[in-house]
Amino acid sequence: METKIGVFLCNCGGAIKNIDFDAAVKKVAKFPGVTCVNLSSDLCLEEGKKKMISCIKEENIERVVVAACSPEFQEHIFRKVLEKAGLNDHLLSMANIREQCSWTHDGDVTEKAVELVKMAVNRVRLLQPMEKKELPVNREVLVVGGGFSASNTVLQLSRVGLRTTLLEKEAVLGAGTEELESFYGFDTGSMISAVEVDKNIEVLTSAQMTEVGGKIGDFSVRIRQEGGEILRKYGAIVLATGHQTELALDSEPQLRAEDEAISGLNIVSQEQFCCMLGNSGLETEPKTIGFMFDFSDENSRFTTLATLNNALAAKKKWGSEIYVFCKNVKVDSEGMEKLYREARDCGVVFLKSEAPPRITAENGRVKIEAKDVFLGEDVILACDVLVAEELYLPAEGAENLSYLLSIRRDSKGFFQDENVHLYPVGSEKKGIFFIGGCRGDLDLGRVLTDISSVVMKVHELLSSGKILVELERVKADPQKCVACLTCIRVCPHGAIQLVRVDGSKEVAEISDLACDACGICAAICPAKAIKFQGYRDEEILAQIEAIQEL
Amino acid sequence: MNGCIVAFCCEHSAYPAADLAGKLRLHYPENIRVIRVPCAGRVDVIHILKALEKGAAAVLVLGCEDGACHHITGNTRAKERVKYCNMLLKEVQIDGRPVAMFNLSPNAPHKFVRAVNEVTKIIKESGR
Repeated sequence: METKIGVFLCNCGGAIKNIDFDAAVKKVAKFPGVTCVNLSSDLCLEEGKKKMISCIKEENIERVVVAACSPEFQEHIFRKVLEKAGLNDHLLSMANIREQCSWTHDGDVTEKAVELVKMAVNRVRLLQPMEKKELPVNREVLVVGGGFSASNTVLQLSRVGLRTTLLEKEAVLGAGTEELESFYGFDTGSMISAVEVDKNIEVLTSAQMTEVGGKIGDFSVRIRQEGGEILRKYGAIVLATGHQTELALDSEPQLRAEDEAISGLNIVSQEQFCCMLGNSGLETEPKTIGFMFDFSDENSRFTTLATLNNALAAKKKWGSEIYVFCKNVKVDSEGMEKLYREARDCGVVFLKSEAPPRITAENGRVKIEAKDVFLGEDVILACDVLVAEELYLPAEGAENLSYLLSIRRDSKGFFQDENVHLYPVGSEKKGIFFIGGCRGDLDLGRVLTDISSVVMKVHELLSSGKILVELERVKADPQKCVACLTCIRVCPHGAIQLVRVDGSKEVAEISDLACDACGICAAICPAKAIKFQGYRDEEILAQIEAIQEL
Repeated sequence: MNGCIVAFCCEHSAYPAADLAGKLRLHYPENIRVIRVPCAGRVDVIHILKALEKGAAAVLVLGCEDGACHHITGNTRAKERVKYCNMLLKEVQIDGRPVAMFNLSPNAPHKFVRAVNEVTKIIKESGR
């Protein structure tokens, strides 16, 4: 018996003007399998939905085509309607006769609309129902790192009732937080002690991940500690491994020749300069200070912020003359514009130069030569201390972590900071998140935003202890699969693995939890063993067939 | 349908872009038929060839911008497949009809319209 297809056309409350709906209804009714065609003007409103449900029940409709607006816009609403009417919510196909037909063309477009409906009818005939099921997930979270962002994350996760393990490779927590204290006036000590006393938080110091397996909801992690190795299970993994900085001086060739002269001079990093500022027993206070940033690294948010903070502090403490050499001052962080103005008002001089300044030694001082863009002349400055430009790099071990978790890094070695489609803190593998410095050049405000979004995301995924998934949305046919491993290699989400069936044969199995439904494996499978429900070859080709038939 | 363009649109970029073109009432030729796919990487060689076999004047594959694919590698795989299709068509000497890949972001309706117009122009020039 032929499947009964119901077509629901909607004129969107009169917004679709250039389609002759009466003629369309007559044409659509002639398509094979179509048992009822309804015209409505308010399908997505309560009234329309009620009518739709009663119609589906009365006519015993098995599959539904909705010809109205874009599926991007209303598909989820109509899926719910199908569920209420007792149908599997996957037996729906939408024809986009509003955005991609009526609104983009002048004149009568009835013919195109009918053809779009025909495409949807052809597709819906082949759709197969999909079951939904709640799969259990582990509610524990592993947070890697021991700095500000990691400690803050575990505290917040504990507050929403999730148990966490904090994995730190150093012997103590709080590495690198002193800088924050001097920078933002944060009391990080109390935060660290709060982590240590919290019952929901387990702290593992001097520990490292050595092996990670599994998928979201069920990661198995092997951790090496001083005492030996332990195997743990986690529902999600959060990386907050932070960043490190490196002086950018090495990249300038002219310095190499004069290394010996330079070594005795005061060329310091921002961190060392912070220490100088904090040191009250300094022998001689520097009278002239030079700063440098934005020459070798375009992403100079963090170094700019450090420079402004340190320059202001030095000005207040020692009243020194301060010159800042830079290509551009980028003030895209909160409060940075204000800091910049304050620095200028205090008498900090900013000198814009396109090429990196030449740095040499002269009479025990650092000589900086640069061509000022606005003056058009060379500026020569002899200063007591030069705070050199810093490169902002991912922390040591990031490469190893990315290898362990098989996640990509961007061109600079940071975790995911380039792909706008991924949730900013998410990775291509579900259940693995990044926070703060390990994913790019971020200031404190952005790090706090990261923490909140990760906590929300993890809470959403794990708090109920189960995740609702569509079963076998993408499935490899064990009969056809020859275990060529092609799909395992191409899957961007690491959702496929080999499993043994019937004792001997190994076939690819796609995890419903980890799969993000892209269909790359279905397209690439040489044996055509992988079926992606809703976008199988048959369903796509049936739509192409429909284009010809009119 | 003669002179019809079959466009495989990724639901993360090209499909919303096409929707946005509709919302902005940007006009483009009527002869385009959009097939929604979850990722440009889902489009297989067989889909493109079948569309040409059925008489499509051109086939477009529209995916995310380079380096910004929702599924990381989908757009590059699609590009390779389009290239492969063109090579096949050239080998059997039926390379008159354009098969092209375009990259666009979901907020680029103008780029979608430009792609459709560009291909329509090529079809018209070749006299189909």
